[in-house]
Amino acid sequence: MADITLRVNGATRTGSPEARKTLADFLRDDLNLTGTHLGCEHGVCGACTVIVDGRAVRSCLMLAVQAAGREVMTIEGLAPDGGGLGTLQQAMWDSHSFQCGFCTPGFVMQATALLSDHPDAGEQQIREALSGNICRCTGYQSIIDGVLLAAERNRER
Amino acid sequence: MTAIAAERYTGASIKRSEDPRILTGAGRYVDDIKLPGMLHAAFLRSPLAHGLVLSVDVSAARALPGVVAVLTGADLEAMTVQAPDPLLALFTTGGPTPEFTLLATDKVRFVGDPVAVVIAESRYLAEDGCELVEVEYQQLPAVISAAFALDPSSPPLFANLGDNIARPHSRNEFGDVSGTFADADRVIDFHIDVHRHQNVPMEGRGCVASWDADLAAMTVYAATQSVHITRNGVATRLGIERGQVRVLAGDIGGSFGLKIGASREELAVAAASRHLGRPVKWVEDRGENLTASGQAREESFDVRAAVSNDGDLLGLDVKMVIDTGAYPGLGTMVPDIMQAMLPGPYKLAALGFESTAAITNKASYVAYRGPWASETFVRERVLDLIAKDLGLDPVEIRLRNLAARTEPPAVMITGRPLAGVTTNESLERVAQMVDFPAFRRRQAEARVLGRYLGMGVATFIEAAPGPRGPDGALGNESMRLRLEEDGIVALFTGQMPHGQSHQTTLAQIAADEFGVPFEQVRVVVGDSAVVPFGLTGGSRSATMTGGVALHGARQLKAKVLDFAAYLMEVSAQDLLITDGNVWVRGDPASAIAVSEVARRAASGQFGADVEAALEVEATFDGGEGGWSGGTHCAIVEVDAETGIVNVERYVAVEDCGALINPAVVEGQIRGGIAQGIGAVLLERSAYAEDGSFQSATFMDYLMPTACDVPRIEIEHLQTVPLDADVNFRGVGEGGMIVAPPTVVNAIEDALSPFGVRIYEQHLPPARILELIAAAD
Repeated sequence: MADITLRVNGATRTGSPEARKTLADFLRDDLNLTGTHLGCEHGVCGACTVIVDGRAVRSCLMLAVQAAGREVMTIEGLAPDGGGLGTLQQAMWDSHSFQCGFCTPGFVMQATALLSDHPDAGEQQIREALSGNICRCTGYQSIIDGVLLAAERNRER
Repeated sequence: MTAIAAERYTGASIKRSEDPRILTGAGRYVDDIKLPGMLHAAFLRSPLAHGLVLSVDVSAARALPGVVAVLTGADLEAMTVQAPDPLLALFTTGGPTPEFTLLATDKVRFVGDPVAVVIAESRYLAEDGCELVEVEYQQLPAVISAAFALDPSSPPLFANLGDNIARPHSRNEFGDVSGTFADADRVIDFHIDVHRHQNVPMEGRGCVASWDADLAAMTVYAATQSVHITRNGVATRLGIERGQVRVLAGDIGGSFGLKIGASREELAVAAASRHLGRPVKWVEDRGENLTASGQAREESFDVRAAVSNDGDLLGLDVKMVIDTGAYPGLGTMVPDIMQAMLPGPYKLAALGFESTAAITNKASYVAYRGPWASETFVRERVLDLIAKDLGLDPVEIRLRNLAARTEPPAVMITGRPLAGVTTNESLERVAQMVDFPAFRRRQAEARVLGRYLGMGVATFIEAAPGPRGPDGALGNESMRLRLEEDGIVALFTGQMPHGQSHQTTLAQIAADEFGVPFEQVRVVVGDSAVVPFGLTGGSRSATMTGGVALHGARQLKAKVLDFAAYLMEVSAQDLLITDGNVWVRGDPASAIAVSEVARRAASGQFGADVEAALEVEATFDGGEGGWSGGTHCAIVEVDAETGIVNVERYVAVEDCGALINPAVVEGQIRGGIAQGIGAVLLERSAYAEDGSFQSATFMDYLMPTACDVPRIEIEHLQTVPLDADVNFRGVGEGGMIVAPPTVVNAIEDALSPFGVRIYEQHLPPARILELIAAAD
């Protein structure tokens, strides 16, 4: 056990995870943030993607203790002030991006990081950036369309 | 005060009601369930494909702090009863019945076969406990191929059977098979293989089981396609009444046929919870999912085709063997469906069909999206191979052989009428969209430059639900509908959506039919104590559940109008419901909200002569039913140096009747196509000669990504309405059924300069290079 303090979705959180506990399990079990999903636990599917210090990471491949002192953002932290859906989430809703929803948090976080770094990303860049996230339901087109729509709306604002 | 709602929700791409929770992390999947005092299970699994279990020593595991119990096969056998599985009883009849236990007792039968379960205070500790269980095995020869399984010298997996036959050999003939073959200009032989691959939903299997000893009641939070079939499975194996078991399900992270009923692991978890008197959770990890949840396909076909010199496919004679893995599953039902569907939308006049199902030391068979899909693969592959032999174009041979749409409709040689089938129209539309002559010119130019482009087409029909027969189209579907006091029209359905968007689509239909805003319909799913029996599967929900929602809403509306007529002292014939208000025709000022009607009805202030229970139980038999179907076309480029296949363009023209929600329909089509592309180019459940499993991670079992699946162009044909009210047809499986032959046909076309002929479905780069090298 190690005492850690970190910031999660803008709030200071503390915990005492076992050294071997993954960040994903810490978020889900200790902090009750079950929006982060585990799809493979070996870093391939991307369902557990969260943003740590501005970068998209696989929370199944990171230990909770490694997050000490860092700024973590999960799907639960995306709501704009006052609640509701952010631009990307709204665009994905409008685009019928998802079906079963299990991969969704990972795609949303990965795409959030992408648009933050590359607001003008085009289709091919989006496909490559999301190629480390697996969706079994949709064939990806609706997800890509959602990200493109969000980028367009961001530019119009 | 009221506006007459002119818009219809049905037919529009209404945004999904599921999405706000899913997009914010507020979906509730089974692994999100936490109960007070909940324990965690982990399974110790066999490292051997086939072996005797000589001893299991759990003492060190039991001594580990945090471990609450370690249960072996013998322990579980004592806690449960041997009984026929309700899922298998629902879909399969007769045949050999292997005897087995939930966890291995005397022997293990595939790599991943569960041997013991460790229950601990956390999943980490449960997995630690598994490391400490000592099992002594004696290895047996692995029965790793269907061919070996059917050899009488193979060691039987199940002692009570004495051989490895899951379904005895059978032969059926339709039409004059011997005469057709005797008279044919040519008889062509093929051997076609379809490889083993699997569902791989992003969420694996899992459950939380919670036994309440005081009430003698079991609650199971499940990921399932049917809360009732899961309930029946749990009750049966635990030896308790079905009424003692309640199965609840929330959001489900995909399934594609995997999560039906109650798996051996889930039953063991339920038994453990009853034994310990505490809730127990088990959620499989990806290694377990790939290794042990179940796998599909792996069929081989010896095909003889009777053909005229003009390209008429006159008859087929098919010998099929399916490898159903170790434990009983739905694989034994597949040959019957394949036999029925093999003629497809074609004029085929004679069919001989033989089948056998083999038991092998591999993961057990599970249904996977279009379990009978290989009938389409075989037929559409054979048509292209024949076209090559005769020098015909693939479109030409299909148009030549397709049954014309006539009245009365043509009848498949296996018995079902092709009512309303529009395959001809879909093929012609695809030909227009793709412009085949232009493609052929581009293909020829590219070949000069050493680039290998190919075009493939394939057609399919899907019985979703199928034409009406003597017993309806696809059984009966039930729904309970109630007008709640807050004006909500509540639909209670046994459908258990896991991505299909039923909470949106069923609400669209009911809102239109009843006359309330879309947001005023609530679709209730996932509680065996509340919803009627049902199953999401077999592409049944569009017609069957869409239909019962329509008819049920109509019945409920009539009941509400009768009561409102009493309240308003008018005739029910003069009343309308629009936009959530009941009003007298021609007098908008008379409008009262349906919530007010419901509140008055619930006040209990009416005599027995007034029907104030605003609730109906509706059933629907599928009406006139109908087929879904269509034609797909892929254009690929094969790199002859690396073997890599790029799907450059993909076009789908489908007819699934009236669309409830086009965006949902297109999502189903694209998702199925993506799985079909994955099956051909990437995915394979791989076993070594000794039966060890070689694709237990996503580095070995390759899933299609956003860079592998192209934009998919979709067009919908107008349906031929067969039913007065319900012409929605299922669309869940078609993409996965027809994409594999579409892509393989395109690859063979691309490789035609090498003279390559393809008799298999899995074509990763290494195999493409082998095919080119072998043909050179």
